[in-house]
Amino acid sequence: MAVAAPADLAAVLQTGDWAFVLGNWRVLLLGAVVTVVLMATSLTLGFLAGFPAGAVEAYGSGWTKELVSTAGVVLRGTPIVVLIVLFFFGIPVPKLGSVPVVDVRLSAFLAATLALGLRSGAYQSQVFRGAIQSIDEGQLEAARSVGLTHRQAVRHVIFPQAVRRSVPGFQNEFTIVLKDTSVAFAIGLAELLTRAENLYLQPGRDTAIMEVIIVISAVYFVLTFATNRTLDYLGDAFSIPEGSE
Amino acid sequence: MTDGEAVTDPTETRGSTIGSLPGRRRLVVVAVGSVFWTWLLARWAYHNTVLDWVATAFGTPDLVRAEQGVRGREGWIPAAPFEGAAEAVDGVAATLGPASALVDWLVWLFDLAAFATTTAPALAAGAFVTVYLTVVSMLLGLVIAVPLAVARIYGGRGLRSIALAYTELIRGTPLLAQLFFLYFGLPLAQIAESVGFTGQGPVPRAAAAVAVVGFTINSSAYQSEYIRSALQSVDPGQLTAARAVGLSELGGIRHVVLPQGLRFAIPGWTNEFVYLIKYSSLAAFITVPDLFRRARTIGSETFQFTDIYVIVGLFYLALVLTTALAMGRLERWVAIPGLGSASDRG
Amino acid sequence: MSLLEIEDVDKSYGDEEVLHDVSLAMDQRDVDVIVGPSGSGKSTLLRCVNRLTEVDDGAIYLDGEEIHGMDENDLRRRVGMVFQDFNLFAHRSALGNVTLGLTEVLELSETEAKSRAEEFLGRVGLADQADSYPSQLSGGQKQRVGIARALAMDPDLLLFDEPTSALDPELIGEVLAVMEDLAEGGMTMLCVTHEMGFARSAASTITFLDGGRIVERGPPEQLFETPEKERTRTFLGQLTDLNR
Repeated sequence: MAVAAPADLAAVLQTGDWAFVLGNWRVLLLGAVVTVVLMATSLTLGFLAGFPAGAVEAYGSGWTKELVSTAGVVLRGTPIVVLIVLFFFGIPVPKLGSVPVVDVRLSAFLAATLALGLRSGAYQSQVFRGAIQSIDEGQLEAARSVGLTHRQAVRHVIFPQAVRRSVPGFQNEFTIVLKDTSVAFAIGLAELLTRAENLYLQPGRDTAIMEVIIVISAVYFVLTFATNRTLDYLGDAFSIPEGSE
Repeated sequence: MTDGEAVTDPTETRGSTIGSLPGRRRLVVVAVGSVFWTWLLARWAYHNTVLDWVATAFGTPDLVRAEQGVRGREGWIPAAPFEGAAEAVDGVAATLGPASALVDWLVWLFDLAAFATTTAPALAAGAFVTVYLTVVSMLLGLVIAVPLAVARIYGGRGLRSIALAYTELIRGTPLLAQLFFLYFGLPLAQIAESVGFTGQGPVPRAAAAVAVVGFTINSSAYQSEYIRSALQSVDPGQLTAARAVGLSELGGIRHVVLPQGLRFAIPGWTNEFVYLIKYSSLAAFITVPDLFRRARTIGSETFQFTDIYVIVGLFYLALVLTTALAMGRLERWVAIPGLGSASDRG
Repeated sequence: MSLLEIEDVDKSYGDEEVLHDVSLAMDQRDVDVIVGPSGSGKSTLLRCVNRLTEVDDGAIYLDGEEIHGMDENDLRRRVGMVFQDFNLFAHRSALGNVTLGLTEVLELSETEAKSRAEEFLGRVGLADQADSYPSQLSGGQKQRVGIARALAMDPDLLLFDEPTSALDPELIGEVLAVMEDLAEGGMTMLCVTHEMGFARSAASTITFLDGGRIVERGPPEQLFETPEKERTRTFLGQLTDLNR
């Protein structure tokens, strides 16, 4: 991968390892962008899969429920790296080429999204199912007592409360998925960690390993921190007001 | 946030991997799991250096074969029948014409089984590394996690911030980056090698020692969070009562709070155990020949990537499910009547 | 024709017989109070009327129509229920609790639902708390919202399942006052309660249920002053003492 123009490289060679890292900030920034986008697509997929799956596990019956919960156990019981390589090698993805600027192979991105997303969905379904089941039976009875159908009661009374109660669990998923995007390293997806490795694998740059890793760790940390703070804020903004009785 | 100092979410826990297994599935796991473990233990014993030495001393040098290289090992179940079955079914499929998709799938299953029997010995060797990395790191992690949790709750300002910084830093960065930092960044591998981690005989290689360090540090941070929230759920009156009978603060923590709180922590702790089994696969990227790395090597030698990853996925599933089940039993075993386990508290 | 007729109702949970041959009839504007020791089947009887629980045997008629053959949602729209634990929708304001049924079941427009909900909150004295969430209300206020929620559906019959049992003593009065108002206004009410003061002043009939059977049923004066059964005298005596 072309990391920097030769002229830049020559300039960087004179200075220390820190300067080398800073000189390549563009590379790392692109990596961070890929990491964040991968996190976003995975969590979206995870939500789209996990929300109905949780509802099926809470209210379903028969083979649908069986199927959903078995798929959940398999997805939660397999290491993420195995899932990523399995989706990468096992699913016949058409040749998709790559995105020019960020230099991301779409097939790798798709495999990582599927693996991270479906696994996150398997965890999100647990969060959501638990939230549904934690809601007092009386809520459903009260809704039924005003004449709402079961479906209406679930939709207007159970789900809105369950979604709010799921927020802390979803928040965990954000940080877990964010950190696990680094495992896409296994299939060479050009996210933050892969790009970091590419940096110090350049000839004569092995002295900069420490510096590179410290910098990307800081980036991950800041991303985790920012994500958590944003979610805390959103959680407060959308929470049900509580009084001092 | 009550302490107002946590950077990431203080209650961050990793979701339960397995949850509760209903009756029928539980039976399947127990049955398949016991066969799997019997086979695994036999495999490990068969190639164990120490057992080989003992067997040789007793005059049966061929009973245990530790000298065999991992690649040279052969499966106990012959692959030929599965290959034969695959061929036979394939023959049938040819006559079926377009309706053969389902049959093709069956062929693949037989091929997979044949492939599994030939690769199983190498995977068993990898599983041994996976299991010891996990067990050793969990236990060492626990040794760090308990004082860390106690420091977070009862420590003075300085101690509290150090413990907080440690856990937040570790939990805020990816495990793989931590392993790279330790293995490629620090000269830890050379140090480990110089103190004797050379990979000779039963001694693990330097990379494995580095992996243990990495996993220990990582799991200690997560474990301490589980322990901290468990300790905080112990009624503060308990410590007051301990002080009232004349115990020192540390004595009260040691004899009253910890014995109760650590029991609350068990569900979280066992979940963490399962997580580490899965995440120990990242050791493959710092050259540790664990289960995943064995699979990767076989994949690049045979180009049967999908097949070997399906097989290794099943290996991990077996390890994870049996561990979860065994840990559930442990939970019930250490339970105190009247003291609800943490799972009761949601 | 009676508004509500309960005919020989039986109900068991497993081996345990909760209701045995229970029959009673209520006319419009009647206020029927059911009393009895815990486990006597009072709540089960109430829940049978709006089919939160289905009877094993016997029949229940609302306005002459057998409820088992009715659409259960339609039945529940016509029979309101007030719960011991309030069961207010935790994610909705007081107003939102009342409007949900109006918009989803009666299919009123948002504005219609809102003005109607405000009217009924006003009737229970909570016009100023419309925007409060359940966790911001006191127990007595919660229960009054619960009553407004049921009332706003314009039910033919209101069921009260121990509406004051979960309340602190000083909050009971405000709920009873609302119930007494309703009774005076002609609402048909079937109430499970231990509030003997309310029973004396508002009830048209008192039913004493024990062990799943009706022991005695009659106007308050009769049950309080000249009960037929000794058991009724003892039980009501204990309750009255407690209430004092």
